[in-house]
Amino acid sequence: MRATLPLTVLAVVAEEETYGYAIAQRLQAAGLGAVKGGTLYPVLNRLEQEGLVTSSWREGAGGPGRKFFTVTPHGRAHLAERAAAWHTFTERAAGLLPSVGSPR
Amino acid sequence: MTTGTDTYRRELVQALRTGNVPPERIGEIVAEVESHVADTGEDPREAFGPAREYAAGFRRPRSRWSAAARPAPTLLGALCGFLVGNGVVGLVDGEPALGMPAWVVLTAGAVLWIPSLVAVLRLSVPVPDPRTGRSITPAPGPVATAVGMGATLVAVAVACWGLAVLTS
Repeated sequence: MRATLPLTVLAVVAEEETYGYAIAQRLQAAGLGAVKGGTLYPVLNRLEQEGLVTSSWREGAGGPGRKFFTVTPHGRAHLAERAAAWHTFTERAAGLLPSVGSPR
Repeated sequence: MTTGTDTYRRELVQALRTGNVPPERIGEIVAEVESHVADTGEDPREAFGPAREYAAGFRRPRSRWSAAARPAPTLLGALCGFLVGNGVVGLVDGEPALGMPAWVVLTAGAVLWIPSLVAVLRLSVPVPDPRTGRSITPAPGPVATAVGMGATLVAVAVACWGLAVLTS
């Protein structure tokens, strides 16, 4: 889970421009479990440092400001590349693993 | 804002400053925490862990120079007070201070006040809040700091003068 977090967070940001809490909710809704703020923001910061996302603070409706994250063209290219590698890897690994319910 | 968030902010700013994180970065990190818990309704400690541990992930190596400069304000301030005190006592008693004319020691102490003020101001650079552009820490401004430090120095001088007059 930890290892795939940067890639899944990047995928969520690539879907649409969004902010921390909404990203955490999206990951949970996708069945990836609850991600604490203390884990999520360092990942977002790293993605930004690597130039894969950019961020900007925006005034909320009456509420406090929120930091919105947007994917960069480099981030999109990186996501496509890593996603392809991930699928190749999982297909190969799945070929070695017994299928669910089959005798060992 | 709750007291829990206020305490957490103070602890986090302090831990990040100690970890040599630049002020702009500190402002970002603090604003992220506060904006997130405002959305989730969590206690910051629950969502981000103890401030010191969360700050440790952002720590930056300190250059030898800046590490050496950390105790500078305290040392300079202590030296400044020491020289002024000795100078005042020497003047009152009409005797040399530290083997030098008392007025030289007093002047040296008074002049040393400037670098110690600069050192204090350099270490307490305000942290900007990226949401508002204002300072996130209710730190006293440069003028207030200068007045406060000046008043302390005058108080030291007056106290030494009083003591010298009483004992001579």
